[in-house]
Amino acid sequence: MAKSPTPIPTQPVKVHRAAQGTTRPAQKRRRKKRNPILWFLQGVVRRIYFGIKTAFKFLLLVPVLVFMVAFSYNVDRSGLFQGALAPRRIVDLMLQGYDVTNFEQMDEREVVQLFAQDVPETPEAIGIGSSRVLQFNRENTGVESFFNMGVTGADVRDNMTSYYKMVTYGKAPKVLLWSLDPWVFYGSEDAFDARADADLYNEFLTKVLNVPTDYEEPDTVELWKALADPAYFQGNVDYYVKNRGQSTVTDDDGNAIEFNPVEGDPYNQNTTIKRSDGSVLYDVAFRTQTEDQIRALAAGACMSFNSVHMEGFDEMSPTQMQAFDSFIKYAQTQGTTVILVLSPWHPYLYDYLLTEPENHKGFFEVENWVREYCSQNNIPLYGSYDPTCIEGLQETDFFDGLHCSGTGIVRFFPGVPQALQDLQNGTLPDPLAVHPRTSLEDPAAEGEAAQTTQQEG
Amino acid sequence: MTITWEQVLAFLCEGQTMAITSLLFLAFFAAVALINYVLPRVLRPYFLLIASYGFFCYDPVNRPLVWVLLAATALTWLCGLIIGKCRYKAVRVLALIASVGFGIGILIFYKYWNLLADAMGGSVLSHRDNLLAPLGLSYFTFAAMSYAIDVYKRRCRVELNPLHYALFVSFFPTLINGPIERYPQMRPQIQKSRRFSYGRCAGGAFRMLWGYTKKMVIADNLALYVGMVYGDAANMSGPNLTAAAVLFAVQLYMDFSGCCDIALGAARILGYDLIENFQSPFEASSFNDFWRRWHISMTGWFRDYIYFSLGGSRCAPWRHYLNIVIVFIFSGLWHGADWRYLAWGLACGLCAAFGAMTAKLRKKINRCNPLYRIGWFKVLWQCLVTDALFCLTLVFFASALYNVDPFAVYSAMLQGWDGLAGSWAQVSELIYSVGIDGRLPVVLLSGCFIVFAAEHNGRSVARWIRQQVWPLRWTLYYGAAAAILFFAAFGQSAFIYQQY
Repeated sequence: MAKSPTPIPTQPVKVHRAAQGTTRPAQKRRRKKRNPILWFLQGVVRRIYFGIKTAFKFLLLVPVLVFMVAFSYNVDRSGLFQGALAPRRIVDLMLQGYDVTNFEQMDEREVVQLFAQDVPETPEAIGIGSSRVLQFNRENTGVESFFNMGVTGADVRDNMTSYYKMVTYGKAPKVLLWSLDPWVFYGSEDAFDARADADLYNEFLTKVLNVPTDYEEPDTVELWKALADPAYFQGNVDYYVKNRGQSTVTDDDGNAIEFNPVEGDPYNQNTTIKRSDGSVLYDVAFRTQTEDQIRALAAGACMSFNSVHMEGFDEMSPTQMQAFDSFIKYAQTQGTTVILVLSPWHPYLYDYLLTEPENHKGFFEVENWVREYCSQNNIPLYGSYDPTCIEGLQETDFFDGLHCSGTGIVRFFPGVPQALQDLQNGTLPDPLAVHPRTSLEDPAAEGEAAQTTQQEG
Repeated sequence: MTITWEQVLAFLCEGQTMAITSLLFLAFFAAVALINYVLPRVLRPYFLLIASYGFFCYDPVNRPLVWVLLAATALTWLCGLIIGKCRYKAVRVLALIASVGFGIGILIFYKYWNLLADAMGGSVLSHRDNLLAPLGLSYFTFAAMSYAIDVYKRRCRVELNPLHYALFVSFFPTLINGPIERYPQMRPQIQKSRRFSYGRCAGGAFRMLWGYTKKMVIADNLALYVGMVYGDAANMSGPNLTAAAVLFAVQLYMDFSGCCDIALGAARILGYDLIENFQSPFEASSFNDFWRRWHISMTGWFRDYIYFSLGGSRCAPWRHYLNIVIVFIFSGLWHGADWRYLAWGLACGLCAAFGAMTAKLRKKINRCNPLYRIGWFKVLWQCLVTDALFCLTLVFFASALYNVDPFAVYSAMLQGWDGLAGSWAQVSELIYSVGIDGRLPVVLLSGCFIVFAAEHNGRSVARWIRQQVWPLRWTLYYGAAAAILFFAAFGQSAFIYQQY
């Protein structure tokens, strides 16, 4: 039965102590004297040899661990490394060149951050801003590898962190197209969007702009723990087995993820879709409204204009202006050329705002300040908040009061290549040549007054 | 993302307790093994002693109790010295009584206090609420007592080096689950440390891997079902309780023998051979044979120090049977201060005594049984009957573990049967209701088959694996690692025998 190398307890055997003295000790064989140095060296060599041999054999088991870590990292059902499952599906589809359905249900911020992580090659140009930038696409920018990182309701934090994410992944683009919204310069909490990643913004402020915040380094141990956690691996195996080869992908709780490639003509969809370049294509009904319908929407936006991040916006915040300047300089140090765009508001809406300038003092300060800034820093600036400053702009170039369509964009933006060429040749349009209206009085006089205010400031 | 050493340490030390299935234990063991082999051989026992105390004291709960280990070591060593060197028998007897009395005293103080207090109705001893026992109390006190008795009985020479003896008592691979070592077996290994042998190291590592597979893949997954049944025993049907009784026996074997495999493998890597604790117990042909194969170090201890002291079998038959029962009662009590363990010991003792009583008669009947002329049938039938008997007695053990009424379980086991198909449906329904999919039962079945086949007839898996060609060997290494990775139930690392 017993074939074990280790012993099984046997019956105790009595030790005969008395016998020790009686027997004659056997003559000891004289041992050869060993050279202590040689003996020591032999010991060292022996230990090194067996140490290497043992370590090598254990290393052969490392592939098992590598497989576990790689599998957990790639499947990542809890989205610890690859982001949540739904945004990951969207980004995967976009990177494969598909337009994606169900835009209204998307967590755009997560999509943008995941895109920054997953995009294999750095896009030549990216666009940042709110939904007002989302009509910029590969066609009207003239850049094949353009990606629109704008998100609905974006505040200053969204704008800056989108670009910052690209930089942290070593993918700083050559061109940054920033559609500036007026609330970027508003220092109140009302200018912020609850959906923005405040932690990431704090990280950006602390690490890049050296502004002290309550930012704390995330606990990387927790992440590594998950990677080295076999229980997490098993969860990933379960998830992978469940979803492999399935047409409908499910999330961690088994619910279906309803983001799928657009089928058929993208311009003929009944719902809003996210294009593969990050831009948004509204549904057919919204895109084909009559002039009256658009004006009705613009009229509706008049009363709620300030509620879009501008409640109580009476003056531009010096802190935000400083942050803006620091961000521009930061982007330039990353080798990025910044192009600023002021997307126009619907004429009806803008005209309405002019009737009550006291309620929109901050708003009316922004454009002139930006023009002054661009002029001083040689930054390309296109467009204007005032639609009358853009030649040929029609009311049908809008979807509603806030959103200018692609046809409107081409009226003020010549495309990225042209902008870069103008910058290189020194033939950029003079920002100060445009004088947006800030009241119902003479716009030229207003412009001069604004300039004086800036200089004094 | 940079990882600092502090973060790695924080990651490793997060759990605070050094469970044998934890990454922390593996890291600790790897470091100890490495340093052990780098050191000159003469220094290794001293380093291992430090490591063993480090292991003991790692858990903050054990730190204030380290004096128990120290005192047990010092006192038994001193008593051993007196017993071995003193010429006066009275002094030797007194020293023996002191060492054994101290061992029993600390066992009572830390383990049986409340049982005694309850038994005395609280008039003599008052109930203690936070009764915390030091790690491995039952193992190291039994080892220490065995040394004193062995020296007294002249089965073992006196150890003059207290540090060597201290290593024997506190050797960390045996601290958690045993086996209960004997000094004559350990002494030559401690006094002359082995040279590094790659074969030993590889065999030990595989033994550990084998143990982890048994524990984490089979035992822990079986525990899901068994725990569920015993957790709600009052509402369980007979088929489920019967299945749980059988599966608990398998779980207990995989759990305990798995941990022993880890301990033996670890000790082997460090250069020590420990006592084998199991010898294919489920292949036993009788109940007494079963107990010669199950928890050998403990049954051997009781046999040598209690059974033989009571007269063993060299006495009147009734006394012989009584001795068997007494030994099993002690064995039951060793497992814990609970009447159900006592009842389990009594049940096992009665079965074993009945087996011894009817041994000759059964032999005669067996000769007349025509079916027993078919060799394989005889072996299979005897194994099945023995295992069934063991499973039945184990209901007391499981009831103590899960705190249920064993007699209610026994009576419920007879109810709710609905033919073979209906009963199987009840069992499978319960299995699937906890979210266990079809893969796991298949893995468990094949896992049990592989383990029993590999350990058939007491075969040493570690030695067997070293004799195979490398493709098969490495396939098994990867297979075991993959089994742990894919099917182990993580987060249930406590061993059943750890609490004893």
